Amino acid sequence: MSLHPPPPAAWSQPMQPPAYNAVHPRTTMQSASPPAPADMAPKKVDWPPAVRQYVRRAFDPANAIAGISQADMQERLKDTIGYFAERKSTDTIHWPTFPLPQQLLADERSKAAPGVHPNGFSHDLQPTPVNGADERTNPQSKKRKSQDAAELQAEQTQASVPPWRKTNLASRMTYAQGHHDKRHKKNAPDAASKFDQAELDKRRQRFQLGNNNNTKTTPPWGSPRKDEDEVPAGPVVGTNQSLEKSYFRLTAPPKAETVRPLHILKKTLVRLAEKWKAEKNYNYICNQFKSLRQDLTVQHIKNAFTVKVYETHARISLEKGDLGEYNQCQTQLKALYAQNLGGNPAEFKAYRILYFVYTCNKTDMNDMLAELTLADKSHEVIKHALDVRSSLALGNYHKFFRLYLEAQNMGAYLMDMFIERERLNALANISRGYLVVSLRFLTDELGFDNDETCREFIESHGGQNIVEDKGDHQYRVKVREAASQFDSLRAAAFSKVDIKGQI
Amino acid sequence: MQVALEPFYEAYASGLSVPVAEFLSPIAPAHNPGRLYDFYRASNDDKLEGDVRYALKYNKSTRMTNRESGAWVDILSGYWRAVKEIIKADEAANQGRLGERQYVAVYDAWKDLTSTFIKHMSSGLLPTWAIFTLYFTANHLRKIAIRADEQLSKSKSAAPTTGYSDDIVSTGPQNQKLEEAARVFNRIFALCLGDRNPDMADSRKWGVYCIANLQFKTYFKLKAISLSKNVVRSIEAQSDLPAFGLYPRAHRVTYKYYLGVLSFLQEDYKKAESSLQEAWETCWSPSQQNKSLILTYLIPCRLITQHQVPTAALLAEAPRLERYFGPLVSCIKRGDLTGFDKALADGEPEFVRRRIFLTLERSRDIALRNLLRKVYLAGGFEDLKEGQSEKDRIRKSRVPLAHFAAALRMGGQVVEDDEVECLLANQIYKGLMKGYISREHAMVVLNKKGAFPNTGI
Repeated sequence: MSLHPPPPAAWSQPMQPPAYNAVHPRTTMQSASPPAPADMAPKKVDWPPAVRQYVRRAFDPANAIAGISQADMQERLKDTIGYFAERKSTDTIHWPTFPLPQQLLADERSKAAPGVHPNGFSHDLQPTPVNGADERTNPQSKKRKSQDAAELQAEQTQASVPPWRKTNLASRMTYAQGHHDKRHKKNAPDAASKFDQAELDKRRQRFQLGNNNNTKTTPPWGSPRKDEDEVPAGPVVGTNQSLEKSYFRLTAPPKAETVRPLHILKKTLVRLAEKWKAEKNYNYICNQFKSLRQDLTVQHIKNAFTVKVYETHARISLEKGDLGEYNQCQTQLKALYAQNLGGNPAEFKAYRILYFVYTCNKTDMNDMLAELTLADKSHEVIKHALDVRSSLALGNYHKFFRLYLEAQNMGAYLMDMFIERERLNALANISRGYLVVSLRFLTDELGFDNDETCREFIESHGGQNIVEDKGDHQYRVKVREAASQFDSLRAAAFSKVDIKGQI
Repeated sequence: MQVALEPFYEAYASGLSVPVAEFLSPIAPAHNPGRLYDFYRASNDDKLEGDVRYALKYNKSTRMTNRESGAWVDILSGYWRAVKEIIKADEAANQGRLGERQYVAVYDAWKDLTSTFIKHMSSGLLPTWAIFTLYFTANHLRKIAIRADEQLSKSKSAAPTTGYSDDIVSTGPQNQKLEEAARVFNRIFALCLGDRNPDMADSRKWGVYCIANLQFKTYFKLKAISLSKNVVRSIEAQSDLPAFGLYPRAHRVTYKYYLGVLSFLQEDYKKAESSLQEAWETCWSPSQQNKSLILTYLIPCRLITQHQVPTAALLAEAPRLERYFGPLVSCIKRGDLTGFDKALADGEPEFVRRRIFLTLERSRDIALRNLLRKVYLAGGFEDLKEGQSEKDRIRKSRVPLAHFAAALRMGGQVVEDDEVECLLANQIYKGLMKGYISREHAMVVLNKKGAFPNTGI
């Protein structure tokens, strides 16, 4: 009776984007070329951009050498790259100047042709001819196989291997094998088949693609690809090297050239943080962060670095009081923390509590409280936020302004959002509870820096004539006289909460 | 098939919704645990509709028109298919090899049954009382959906979740089936509310409140409480419903209860109190479970609106209420702030779950008021002046701040002097205490009459 027939085994497996099939970007050259790299795919799939560039050059008809067949060239290309890949030293080669396979072949043949090879075993050398090339072009390469070189390589592979590659390798391989035959048969890489059928249905509904009978016969994803620009449905792997990039809302799948890979993005974050410190140009920084986040999202990068990006952006937007942007980051962070990717979950939980204090949203606050564990509650910053909440709930403004002065991290910026409201609240309380108080008392109780700012606050909120100069720097405030003023201002302040707060 | 449908004929002949609903149940009755199985054995996939049609046609005891019997054929066939899935699922569960989508299959079959029912209901082929039978069917759908969601979430967490969705944040629906069911309920609700039949005796409008209650229940479970407001709004906008008092008591009590809780959550305690009060008064007295549910919200309401604590006798009626409110209430009465804080912290997980924590927290004011009042009473009376009699004695209305501070500290509170003033100013502002604070004299000057309103002094 199930509405959805059980999907075929190969489909049912991954909800996750699994195999990112061929790694080469789809260019005219590549789609026409025989799948030399694809054969190597099981060994190591991700090639640095330089290598890919090299392969492209090899296939470029302009570089073809007469007398050397395409098949020979491919064979050699495969050997060459395979050789370095096996030793994980593709990074040590300067690919743009490295001789093309056809050149290597031509060189060898011209040497071998006279039959007077100096060593006399030129033919034995054939299977591993790259040795010679290696030494010739890159004499230090042997020395570089020292410990620090290995470390460097490890670092670099780490930087260049996107996270889903590393973590998901095993499942990806099995999937790729299971999928292999099918892909060949079908000829058109069925990118969509990796999604759950239900997901697809939902997606189709979302985009309202076609009417019912139409979608049944020719599903949009089933049609063979003709468009060269079309990017595989898997994550893009960026090749863009620029550190700064403006944000544009995507209306089409991103192109690899416009997307920056992880190791560039890491530098970008450092650069942005420095710029923010130096220039404090919020509009620019916010824009940059949005493009940074976009690059992460389209490449499906989800790791500690992602958390760091969102945290940094959230903090900066808090500093500027841009709650709209902050909220976006906060939503993402909540989900990222749920996957235990590191970061500072406690700090941001505290912000969320303070944020709900600001919005006066009892339902959300209740849900928030329900979420907190005992460990959370004993955490210093969360405890501070909870104390802020309870002090306000119980009308303990004395304690509240104490806590305001003790706020950590960006908490003070968040509290700034509602500090005026709470000052009015406290003032309304005091004006009913006392007849006369000293200005100094108000300054202390309301958490002002000095008497002057306190006085300004009172006078700009309906208390123009209630501050009395007693001489000798003694001021008295006849609070009761402005009680109804304070009260109505307080009510007004609580009635409207601007939660968007976009700049 | 004729034999298997015998209970249905009996139920149908009664012209009541409940017996028919009992026949169309996903659970076999206790007195006949094999009934589902017998019913399933009475037919098979190929012959099903023919069997049912034949049985209904040649059965003498029920008289229905051809078109009506056609509708029942659809419904009974749908029921048979659902029963098939239930039996499959049960057998699989007994053998400990419950498939991932087993309950989803039950859910799908039951949803088909419900949809068929709705279809024939809206085309007017079925007698009006069947709307309540439909309610029971829908309620079963709700339970099955919850179960299917549980199974789905379990099987998902068992599978390795790599979680690389299109977005950084994956928003997989947690309660997919129940959300789907909620949409089905919405259709039933519209079907009831929108009945244009002028003859009220024959109107589906009688089903409005029980379906609304079903929707509330679903939305609360889905944590989409705000959707309930739409239901309330459309009921309040419908002017031609029968008088509320004419509806069955069960519908009224549940509806008012949910109405009260909704107002409670929007912090409209006045409205919440009146709705809950009505539910409380209408509630069938032996129904302990319902009564304590109502009181769970009515008691915090009363604390806020009238500063009233429940009597010990009322709390004693239900152990759950006693556990919830007993410690808090005794601390409030004693003016024991430290004890109050502890009781609140102890009960926090439960209170938060019931969404009453933030409201209960506010009753700390009353505990504080009671403590301050004690200080005031302990201050004693002014000396008698000349010509005054015992009757004219007045209490000392000037109380040193230090006294209040001492009382708070004796109770175990760690407070600074300024904080004490702050708490007092708060009490005055909220109208729990009348008077003013004089910083110059470090005194609180209380009203000579009614220093603590509504407490008898």
